Amino acid sequence: MSSIETHAKDAGYWAGQMVAVSCTRDRDSFMRIYDHFAPRVQLYLKGLGSPEAVAEELTQEALLRLWQRAELYDAARSGLSTWLFRIARNLHIDRVRREPQWVPVQDALERLDEPEDAGPSPAESYAEHVDLRNRIEQLPATQARLIRMSYFEAKSHQEIADELGMPLGTVKSCLRRAFLRLQLGVRRGA
Amino acid sequence: MTPRHHLNEATLVSFAAGALSPEMTAVAATHLEACRDCRDNLAHAERIGGLLLGQQQAAELDAAKRGRLRREMLDRLDESTQSRHDGTIQARSPDVSPGDPDGLPQPLRAYFGPTWSALRWRWVAPGVHMIRAAHTSGDTLLLLKIAPGKSMPVHSHQGTELTQILQGAYDDALGHFSPGDAADLDNETEHQPITAPGAPCICVAAMDAPLRFPGWLARKLQPLVGL
Repeated sequence: MSSIETHAKDAGYWAGQMVAVSCTRDRDSFMRIYDHFAPRVQLYLKGLGSPEAVAEELTQEALLRLWQRAELYDAARSGLSTWLFRIARNLHIDRVRREPQWVPVQDALERLDEPEDAGPSPAESYAEHVDLRNRIEQLPATQARLIRMSYFEAKSHQEIADELGMPLGTVKSCLRRAFLRLQLGVRRGA
Repeated sequence: MTPRHHLNEATLVSFAAGALSPEMTAVAATHLEACRDCRDNLAHAERIGGLLLGQQQAAELDAAKRGRLRREMLDRLDESTQSRHDGTIQARSPDVSPGDPDGLPQPLRAYFGPTWSALRWRWVAPGVHMIRAAHTSGDTLLLLKIAPGKSMPVHSHQGTELTQILQGAYDDALGHFSPGDAADLDNETEHQPITAPGAPCICVAAMDAPLRFPGWLARKLQPLVGL
Protein backbone atom coordinates (compact mmCIF):
# COMPACT_ATOMS: atom_id res chain seq x y z
CA MET A 1 0.00 0.00 0.00
CA SER A 2 1.42 3.39 -0.88
CA SER A 3 1.87 6.00 1.79
CA ILE A 4 0.01 9.28 1.92
CA GLU A 5 3.15 10.97 0.67
CA THR A 6 3.28 8.89 -2.50
CA HIS A 7 -0.40 9.41 -3.19
CA ALA A 8 -0.02 13.15 -2.94
CA LYS A 9 2.95 13.22 -5.29
CA ASP A 10 0.71 11.36 -7.68
CA ALA A 11 -1.70 14.28 -7.91
CA GLY A 12 0.96 16.64 -9.25
CA TYR A 13 2.46 13.89 -11.37
CA TRP A 14 -0.85 13.07 -13.06
CA ALA A 15 -1.67 16.72 -13.65
CA GLY A 16 1.73 16.97 -15.39
CA GLN A 17 0.99 13.95 -17.57
CA MET A 18 -2.34 15.46 -18.49
CA VAL A 19 -0.76 18.77 -19.44
CA ALA A 20 1.49 16.82 -21.83
CA VAL A 21 -1.59 15.21 -23.35
CA SER A 22 -3.42 18.49 -23.68
CA CYS A 23 -0.49 20.52 -25.08
CA THR A 24 1.27 18.01 -27.32
CA ARG A 25 -1.19 15.13 -27.52
CA ASP A 26 1.46 12.92 -26.05
CA ARG A 27 0.29 9.32 -26.42
CA ASP A 28 2.75 7.85 -23.94
CA SER A 29 1.57 10.21 -21.22
CA PHE A 30 -1.99 9.36 -22.08
CA MET A 31 -1.35 5.63 -21.84
CA ARG A 32 0.31 6.11 -18.45
CA ILE A 33 -2.86 7.83 -17.29
CA TYR A 34 -4.88 5.05 -18.87
CA ASP A 35 -2.93 2.28 -17.16
CA HIS A 36 -3.26 3.90 -13.77
CA PHE A 37 -6.83 5.17 -13.86
CA ALA A 38 -8.78 2.75 -16.08
CA PRO A 39 -8.94 0.00 -13.42
CA ARG A 40 -10.04 2.56 -10.82
CA VAL A 41 -12.75 4.02 -13.04
CA GLN A 42 -13.95 0.52 -13.84
CA LEU A 43 -14.18 -0.37 -10.17
CA TYR A 44 -16.11 2.83 -9.50
CA LEU A 45 -18.59 2.10 -12.31
CA LYS A 46 -19.06 -1.49 -11.17
CA GLY A 47 -19.76 -0.23 -7.67
CA LEU A 48 -22.52 1.97 -9.04
CA GLY A 49 -24.21 -1.18 -10.30
CA SER A 50 -23.03 -1.71 -13.86
CA PRO A 51 -22.36 -5.28 -14.97
CA GLU A 52 -18.71 -6.02 -15.71
CA ALA A 53 -19.04 -5.66 -19.50
CA VAL A 54 -20.87 -2.34 -19.29
CA ALA A 55 -18.39 -0.96 -16.74
CA GLU A 56 -15.56 -2.01 -19.06
CA GLU A 57 -17.11 -0.30 -22.07
CA LEU A 58 -17.91 2.91 -20.20
CA THR A 59 -14.41 2.99 -18.77
CA GLN A 60 -12.94 2.91 -22.27
CA GLU A 61 -15.32 5.67 -23.25
CA ALA A 62 -14.45 7.79 -20.20
CA LEU A 63 -10.73 7.59 -20.92
CA LEU A 64 -11.32 8.28 -24.60
CA ARG A 65 -13.15 11.46 -23.62
CA LEU A 66 -10.18 12.51 -21.58
CA TRP A 67 -8.12 12.23 -24.77
CA GLN A 68 -10.71 13.90 -26.99
CA ARG A 69 -11.29 16.85 -24.68
CA ALA A 70 -7.76 17.18 -23.40
CA GLU A 71 -7.48 20.76 -24.61
CA LEU A 72 -10.28 21.72 -22.20
CA TYR A 73 -8.30 20.47 -19.24
CA ASP A 74 -7.22 23.22 -16.89
CA ALA A 75 -4.84 22.01 -14.19
CA ALA A 76 -5.52 25.13 -12.13
CA ARG A 77 -9.22 24.36 -12.02
CA SER A 78 -9.35 20.72 -11.14
CA GLY A 79 -7.15 17.75 -10.53
CA LEU A 80 -7.12 14.98 -13.07
CA SER A 81 -8.90 12.54 -10.79
CA THR A 82 -11.71 15.06 -10.19
CA TRP A 83 -12.10 15.58 -13.92
CA LEU A 84 -12.20 11.86 -14.51
CA PHE A 85 -14.66 11.37 -11.66
CA ARG A 86 -17.02 13.86 -13.30
CA ILE A 87 -16.68 12.23 -16.72
CA ALA A 88 -17.32 8.72 -15.36
CA ARG A 89 -20.22 9.82 -13.17
CA ASN A 90 -21.85 11.72 -16.04
CA LEU A 91 -21.49 8.78 -18.41
CA HIS A 92 -23.07 6.46 -15.87
CA ILE A 93 -26.04 8.73 -15.21
CA ASP A 94 -26.55 9.41 -18.92
CA ARG A 95 -26.08 5.88 -20.29
CA VAL A 96 -26.97 3.50 -17.50
CA ARG A 97 -29.56 5.46 -15.55
CA ARG A 98 -30.75 7.15 -18.71
CA GLU A 99 -31.45 10.54 -17.20
CA PRO A 100 -31.33 12.80 -20.26
CA GLN A 101 -31.42 16.02 -18.19
CA TRP A 102 -28.26 15.37 -16.23
CA VAL A 103 -25.60 16.26 -18.79
CA PRO A 104 -27.21 19.52 -20.05
CA VAL A 105 -27.65 20.64 -16.43
CA GLN A 106 -23.99 19.91 -15.65
CA ASP A 107 -22.83 21.71 -18.79
CA ALA A 108 -24.92 24.76 -17.95
CA LEU A 109 -23.54 24.90 -14.39
CA GLU A 110 -20.01 24.57 -15.66
CA ARG A 111 -20.42 27.46 -18.08
CA LEU A 112 -21.42 29.77 -15.22
CA ASP A 113 -17.95 29.77 -13.70
CA GLU A 114 -15.57 30.32 -16.57
CA PRO A 115 -11.97 30.47 -15.37
CA GLU A 116 -11.54 34.22 -15.89
CA ASP A 117 -14.15 35.11 -13.28
CA ALA A 118 -13.45 32.19 -11.01
CA GLY A 119 -11.79 34.29 -8.32
CA PRO A 120 -9.26 32.50 -6.15
CA SER A 121 -8.51 29.30 -8.03
CA PRO A 122 -9.59 26.13 -6.29
CA ALA A 123 -6.41 24.50 -7.53
CA GLU A 124 -5.62 21.14 -6.07
CA SER A 125 -2.18 22.01 -4.89
CA TYR A 126 0.11 19.47 -3.36
CA ALA A 127 -0.58 20.69 0.18
CA GLU A 128 -4.34 20.79 -0.32
CA HIS A 129 -4.28 17.31 -1.69
CA VAL A 130 -2.37 15.91 1.28
CA ASP A 131 -4.65 17.77 3.62
CA LEU A 132 -7.88 16.48 2.07
CA ARG A 133 -6.55 12.95 1.89
CA ASN A 134 -5.57 13.06 5.56
CA ARG A 135 -8.98 14.32 6.48
CA ILE A 136 -10.70 11.55 4.55
CA GLU A 137 -8.59 8.96 6.31
CA GLN A 138 -9.36 10.46 9.70
CA LEU A 139 -13.15 10.61 9.35
CA PRO A 140 -15.05 8.87 12.14
CA ALA A 141 -16.22 5.43 10.99
CA THR A 142 -19.90 6.31 10.52
CA GLN A 143 -19.16 9.46 8.55
CA ALA A 144 -16.69 7.57 6.38
CA ARG A 145 -19.29 4.90 5.73
CA LEU A 146 -21.97 7.40 4.71
CA ILE A 147 -19.51 9.20 2.43
CA ARG A 148 -18.65 5.89 0.75
CA MET A 149 -22.30 4.88 0.37
CA SER A 150 -22.97 8.24 -1.27
CA TYR A 151 -20.04 8.34 -3.66
CA PHE A 152 -19.49 4.67 -4.45
CA GLU A 153 -23.06 3.39 -4.37
CA ALA A 154 -24.94 6.61 -5.22
CA LYS A 155 -27.37 5.92 -2.35
CA SER A 156 -29.85 8.64 -1.45
CA HIS A 157 -30.20 9.88 2.14
CA GLN A 158 -33.39 7.87 2.49
CA GLU A 159 -31.83 4.69 1.12
CA ILE A 160 -28.94 5.06 3.56
CA ALA A 161 -31.38 5.68 6.40
CA ASP A 162 -33.38 2.55 5.49
CA GLU A 163 -30.33 0.39 5.06
CA LEU A 164 -28.62 1.37 8.29
CA GLY A 165 -31.77 1.88 10.34
CA MET A 166 -30.83 5.49 11.06
CA PRO A 167 -33.26 8.42 11.20
CA LEU A 168 -33.18 10.49 8.00
CA GLY A 169 -32.20 13.63 9.90
CA THR A 170 -29.22 11.84 11.41
CA VAL A 171 -28.02 10.70 7.99
CA LYS A 172 -28.18 14.26 6.72
CA SER A 173 -26.45 15.83 9.70
CA CYS A 174 -23.78 13.14 9.68
CA LEU A 175 -23.02 13.69 5.98
CA ARG A 176 -23.03 17.41 6.55
CA ARG A 177 -20.52 17.10 9.37
CA ALA A 178 -18.31 14.89 7.20
CA PHE A 179 -18.37 17.47 4.42
CA LEU A 180 -17.51 20.33 6.78
CA ARG A 181 -14.68 18.34 8.30
CA LEU A 182 -13.26 17.67 4.83
CA GLN A 183 -13.68 21.27 3.87
CA LEU A 184 -11.86 22.93 6.77
CA GLY A 185 -8.66 24.51 5.69
CA VAL A 186 -9.08 23.49 2.08
CA ARG A 187 -11.63 25.93 0.80
CA ARG A 188 -10.67 29.54 0.19
CA GLY A 189 -7.41 28.65 1.91
CA ALA A 190 -4.99 29.42 -0.93
CA MET B 1 -29.99 38.44 -5.78
CA THR B 2 -27.61 36.69 -3.39
CA PRO B 3 -29.35 33.74 -1.78
CA ARG B 4 -29.41 33.66 2.02
CA HIS B 5 -30.81 30.19 2.41
CA HIS B 6 -28.66 27.46 0.92
CA LEU B 7 -28.64 23.79 0.07
CA ASN B 8 -27.72 21.55 2.95
CA GLU B 9 -24.13 20.34 2.50
CA ALA B 10 -25.46 16.78 2.66
CA THR B 11 -27.58 17.55 -0.41
CA LEU B 12 -24.53 18.91 -2.25
CA VAL B 13 -22.56 15.76 -1.43
CA SER B 14 -25.39 13.69 -2.91
CA PHE B 15 -25.64 15.96 -5.94
CA ALA B 16 -21.91 15.54 -6.59
CA ALA B 17 -22.14 11.80 -6.06
CA GLY B 18 -25.07 11.45 -8.46
CA ALA B 19 -27.20 10.20 -5.57
CA LEU B 20 -30.19 12.54 -5.93
CA SER B 21 -33.30 11.65 -7.91
CA PRO B 22 -33.74 13.54 -11.20
CA GLU B 23 -36.45 15.67 -9.56
CA MET B 24 -34.30 16.65 -6.56
CA THR B 25 -31.48 17.29 -9.02
CA ALA B 26 -33.67 19.69 -11.01
CA VAL B 27 -34.53 21.76 -7.91
CA ALA B 28 -30.96 21.69 -6.55
CA ALA B 29 -29.60 22.74 -9.96
CA THR B 30 -32.06 25.65 -10.06
CA HIS B 31 -30.58 26.85 -6.78
CA LEU B 32 -27.02 26.21 -7.95
CA GLU B 33 -27.57 28.37 -11.02
CA ALA B 34 -28.41 31.25 -8.68
CA CYS B 35 -25.86 30.59 -5.95
CA ARG B 36 -22.12 30.98 -6.23
CA ASP B 37 -21.48 29.79 -2.66
CA CYS B 38 -23.22 26.49 -3.29
CA ARG B 39 -21.34 26.07 -6.59
CA ASP B 40 -18.08 26.45 -4.67
CA ASN B 41 -19.24 23.84 -2.19
CA LEU B 42 -20.24 21.57 -5.06
CA ALA B 43 -16.77 21.90 -6.59
CA HIS B 44 -15.36 20.78 -3.28
CA ALA B 45 -17.76 17.83 -3.07
CA GLU B 46 -16.58 16.79 -6.54
CA ARG B 47 -12.95 17.00 -5.43
CA ILE B 48 -13.80 14.56 -2.66
CA GLY B 49 -15.24 12.27 -5.35
CA GLY B 50 -12.07 12.58 -7.40
CA LEU B 51 -9.88 11.73 -4.45
CA LEU B 52 -11.99 8.73 -3.52
CA LEU B 53 -11.84 7.54 -7.13
CA GLY B 54 -8.05 7.84 -7.21
CA GLN B 55 -7.71 6.17 -3.83
CA GLN B 56 -9.39 2.93 -4.83
CA GLN B 57 -7.25 -0.16 -4.85
CA ALA B 58 -8.12 -1.67 -8.17
CA ALA B 59 -7.77 -5.40 -8.64
CA GLU B 60 -5.42 -6.46 -11.41
CA LEU B 61 -7.13 -7.55 -14.61
CA ASP B 62 -5.69 -10.62 -16.23
CA ALA B 63 -2.89 -9.81 -18.63
CA ALA B 64 -4.63 -10.95 -21.81
CA LYS B 65 -7.72 -8.87 -21.20
CA ARG B 66 -5.69 -5.87 -20.20
CA GLY B 67 -3.66 -6.15 -23.38
CA ARG B 68 -6.78 -6.32 -25.52
CA LEU B 69 -8.34 -3.25 -23.88
CA ARG B 70 -5.09 -1.31 -24.24
CA ARG B 71 -4.79 -2.10 -27.95
CA GLU B 72 -8.41 -1.17 -28.46
CA MET B 73 -7.81 2.15 -26.71
CA LEU B 74 -4.73 2.91 -28.82
CA ASP B 75 -6.69 2.20 -32.01
CA ARG B 76 -9.46 4.50 -30.94
CA LEU B 77 -7.03 7.35 -30.26
CA ASP B 78 -6.31 7.50 -33.98
CA GLU B 79 -9.85 7.24 -35.17
CA SER B 80 -11.23 9.80 -32.79
CA THR B 81 -9.08 12.86 -33.26
CA GLN B 82 -11.23 14.08 -36.15
CA SER B 83 -14.57 13.66 -34.46
CA ARG B 84 -13.74 15.57 -31.31
CA HIS B 85 -16.67 17.90 -31.57
CA ASP B 86 -19.26 15.17 -30.99
CA GLY B 87 -20.86 15.21 -27.58
CA THR B 88 -20.16 18.87 -27.02
CA ILE B 89 -23.49 19.91 -28.45
CA GLN B 90 -24.92 22.74 -26.39
CA ALA B 91 -28.21 22.26 -24.61
CA ARG B 92 -30.78 23.60 -27.03
CA SER B 93 -33.76 25.69 -26.07
CA PRO B 94 -34.73 27.06 -29.46
CA ASP B 95 -37.74 29.04 -28.28
CA VAL B 96 -36.06 31.04 -25.48
CA SER B 97 -33.00 33.18 -25.84
CA PRO B 98 -30.66 33.38 -22.85
CA GLY B 99 -31.66 36.15 -20.47
CA ASP B 100 -35.26 36.24 -21.72
CA PRO B 101 -37.33 37.07 -18.61
CA ASP B 102 -40.02 34.68 -19.87
CA GLY B 103 -37.60 31.72 -19.74
CA LEU B 104 -37.97 29.22 -16.90
CA PRO B 105 -34.76 28.19 -15.15
CA GLN B 106 -33.03 25.77 -17.49
CA PRO B 107 -33.14 22.71 -15.18
CA LEU B 108 -36.95 22.96 -14.97
CA ARG B 109 -37.70 23.20 -18.68
CA ALA B 110 -37.73 19.46 -19.31
CA TYR B 111 -40.54 19.15 -16.77
CA PHE B 112 -42.58 22.31 -17.21
CA GLY B 113 -41.72 23.65 -20.67
CA PRO B 114 -39.46 26.54 -21.63
CA THR B 115 -41.46 29.64 -20.64
CA TRP B 116 -43.49 31.16 -17.81
CA SER B 117 -46.15 32.34 -20.22
CA ALA B 118 -46.94 28.85 -21.46
CA LEU B 119 -47.50 27.36 -18.00
CA ARG B 120 -50.97 25.95 -17.45
CA TRP B 121 -51.75 26.44 -13.77
CA ARG B 122 -54.34 24.24 -12.13
CA TRP B 123 -56.46 25.48 -9.23
CA VAL B 124 -56.17 23.21 -6.19
CA ALA B 125 -57.43 25.29 -3.27
CA PRO B 126 -58.35 28.92 -2.66
CA GLY B 127 -55.29 31.00 -3.51
CA VAL B 128 -53.26 27.95 -4.48
CA HIS B 129 -52.37 26.90 -8.02
CA MET B 130 -50.14 24.04 -8.93
CA ILE B 131 -48.54 22.17 -11.80
CA ARG B 132 -47.41 18.66 -11.15
CA ALA B 133 -44.65 17.35 -13.42
CA ALA B 134 -45.56 14.23 -15.36
CA HIS B 135 -43.04 11.49 -16.17
CA THR B 136 -41.11 11.59 -12.93
CA SER B 137 -38.92 8.84 -11.54
CA GLY B 138 -41.09 8.32 -8.47
CA ASP B 139 -40.39 11.51 -6.54
CA THR B 140 -42.89 14.34 -6.81
CA LEU B 141 -42.02 17.60 -8.57
CA LEU B 142 -44.38 20.56 -8.26
CA LEU B 143 -44.59 24.16 -9.29
CA LEU B 144 -46.67 26.02 -6.71
CA LYS B 145 -48.17 29.47 -6.95
CA ILE B 146 -49.57 30.81 -3.72
CA ALA B 147 -51.48 34.06 -3.45
CA PRO B 148 -49.86 36.89 -1.42
CA GLY B 149 -50.51 37.14 2.30
CA LYS B 150 -51.76 33.59 2.56
CA SER B 151 -51.07 31.19 5.36
CA MET B 152 -50.34 27.64 4.32
CA PRO B 153 -51.38 24.76 6.55
CA VAL B 154 -48.86 23.55 9.12
CA HIS B 155 -47.25 20.46 7.71
CA SER B 156 -44.33 18.15 8.15
CA HIS B 157 -42.71 15.63 5.88
CA GLN B 158 -42.04 11.94 5.94
CA GLY B 159 -38.98 12.39 3.80
CA THR B 160 -37.03 15.19 2.20
CA GLU B 161 -38.63 18.29 0.71
CA LEU B 162 -36.44 20.56 -1.35
CA THR B 163 -37.92 23.90 -2.40
CA GLN B 164 -36.49 26.75 -4.43
CA ILE B 165 -38.17 30.15 -4.42
CA LEU B 166 -38.58 31.56 -7.93
CA GLN B 167 -40.81 34.63 -7.39
CA GLY B 168 -42.43 36.40 -4.46
CA ALA B 169 -41.55 35.45 -0.91
CA TYR B 170 -42.72 33.67 2.22
CA ASP B 171 -41.87 33.59 5.91
CA ASP B 172 -41.86 30.68 8.30
CA ALA B 173 -40.12 29.73 11.53
CA LEU B 174 -36.89 29.26 9.56
CA GLY B 175 -36.84 32.82 8.26
CA HIS B 176 -37.67 34.93 5.24
CA PHE B 177 -37.40 33.19 1.88
CA SER B 178 -37.16 35.19 -1.34
CA PRO B 179 -36.14 34.42 -4.95
CA GLY B 180 -32.91 32.43 -5.13
CA ASP B 181 -33.36 30.92 -1.66
CA ALA B 182 -33.63 27.19 -1.07
CA ALA B 183 -35.48 25.44 1.74
CA ASP B 184 -33.88 22.06 2.28
CA LEU B 185 -36.06 20.27 4.82
CA ASP B 186 -36.33 16.82 6.31
CA ASN B 187 -38.86 15.01 8.45
CA GLU B 188 -37.86 16.78 11.63
CA THR B 189 -39.14 20.11 10.37
CA GLU B 190 -42.72 21.19 10.83
CA HIS B 191 -43.48 24.53 9.31
CA GLN B 192 -46.21 26.90 8.25
CA PRO B 193 -45.19 29.20 5.43
CA ILE B 194 -47.00 32.53 5.12
CA THR B 195 -46.58 34.23 1.78
CA ALA B 196 -45.47 37.86 1.75
CA PRO B 197 -47.90 40.58 0.65
CA GLY B 198 -47.68 42.00 -2.86
CA ALA B 199 -46.98 39.32 -5.46
CA PRO B 200 -47.80 35.62 -5.46
CA CYS B 201 -45.07 33.31 -4.27
CA ILE B 202 -43.96 30.84 -6.91
CA CYS B 203 -41.69 28.00 -5.98
CA VAL B 204 -40.63 24.63 -7.25
CA ALA B 205 -40.55 21.72 -4.84
CA ALA B 206 -39.38 18.13 -5.01
CA MET B 207 -40.35 15.61 -2.38
CA ASP B 208 -39.57 11.96 -1.93
CA ALA B 209 -42.51 11.11 0.33
CA PRO B 210 -46.03 12.47 0.78
CA LEU B 211 -46.61 15.60 2.84
CA ARG B 212 -48.33 15.22 6.18
CA PHE B 213 -50.89 17.75 7.29
CA PRO B 214 -52.12 17.41 10.86
CA GLY B 215 -55.78 17.40 11.83
CA TRP B 216 -58.95 18.25 10.00
CA LEU B 217 -57.23 20.22 7.27
CA ALA B 218 -55.29 17.16 6.24
CA ARG B 219 -58.45 15.22 5.59
CA LYS B 220 -59.83 18.10 3.58
CA LEU B 221 -56.78 19.14 1.65
CA GLN B 222 -54.84 15.95 1.06
CA PRO B 223 -57.22 14.33 -1.44
CA LEU B 224 -57.60 17.70 -3.12
CA VAL B 225 -53.92 18.30 -3.60
CA GLY B 226 -53.39 14.66 -4.45
CA LEU B 227 -50.14 14.36 -2.52
